[in-house]
Amino acid sequence: METPQYVAARIQRALAEDERTNELGIRVDVRGDQVFLRGQVSCEERRHGIEDVAREAAPGLTVHNEVQLLEVSDPGEEEHL
Amino acid sequence: MRALRIAAVADIHLGEDIRGHYRKKLEGIEHRAEVLLVGGDLTRHGTIEEGQVVADELGDLPIPVVAVLGNHDYHSDADREIAAMLRDAGIIVLDDDAVVIPLDGTRLGVAGGKGFGGGFAGKCASEFGEPETKAFVRHTKDIAERWRHVLKNLDADHRVVLSHYSPVKDTLAGEPPEIYPFLGSYLLAEAADAEGADLIVHGHAHLGTEKGMTPGGIRVRNVALPVIGHSYVVYCLDGEGVH
Repeated sequence: METPQYVAARIQRALAEDERTNELGIRVDVRGDQVFLRGQVSCEERRHGIEDVAREAAPGLTVHNEVQLLEVSDPGEEEHL
Repeated sequence: MRALRIAAVADIHLGEDIRGHYRKKLEGIEHRAEVLLVGGDLTRHGTIEEGQVVADELGDLPIPVVAVLGNHDYHSDADREIAAMLRDAGIIVLDDDAVVIPLDGTRLGVAGGKGFGGGFAGKCASEFGEPETKAFVRHTKDIAERWRHVLKNLDADHRVVLSHYSPVKDTLAGEPPEIYPFLGSYLLAEAADAEGADLIVHGHAHLGTEKGMTPGGIRVRNVALPVIGHSYVVYCLDGEGVH
């Protein structure tokens, strides 16, 4: 089996460099044949895109997409400096 | 001189897939703040099409908008075109220069640009060795030098530095320390500390922390959208300013 560290690095590089994603802030962990993706993106389409790119970069492994949608709330109280 | 309310955000990463969403979040901003600063990574891939979305979402706001580009906005080699589109939409885009905005009798000076990496004092790259390494470090040095010059000549009541990359480590807390050299450079802070500023606003570090400070005591705020969790934050600069 390929060393998990190299698999994780390859997936992370694919997520950053693939034109469908260009996501630099996704954490990738590989445990055995399981891949875990974590992070935050702005919409469901981007979430799915990340999963697609990760699957292609790690054929044969099971990808768990734990990426969350970024919830942006209204501005809070102002800070006085 | 009076207090100023400054709205700030970064890393909005707009694209066709979320067109219209961010604009809605800006409704009523004129009641909360007098200016909006946007600290780069306006797009995901840096394409002309995404630049148009940004121009549409940030254009025609009732308050002035000042932006810098981020590394994502350079990815498709269309940074100049994107900056021009934003300027056509009435957005002030800084590229290692400054603007003075009169706000009801008080002059807000905003200086800055994209910034760049290199790392932090004691743990940073030096202009030594291969040409590729030298070019990387030289890029940051040149930027810091231009900021110093711009700040020196910036005559305003309040002075804010707007960047994409971070000037300090404080606001990177939460990011893996191994990648700090790609997230910012102390040379940016050094330039601001030398010439004085009331506040430095940046983005880039999605896993970082909002609040920090330069070695010289200038407040630093990481306003990357995932960090602040709000559509923007508002900082109120009191009436004293820094000179």
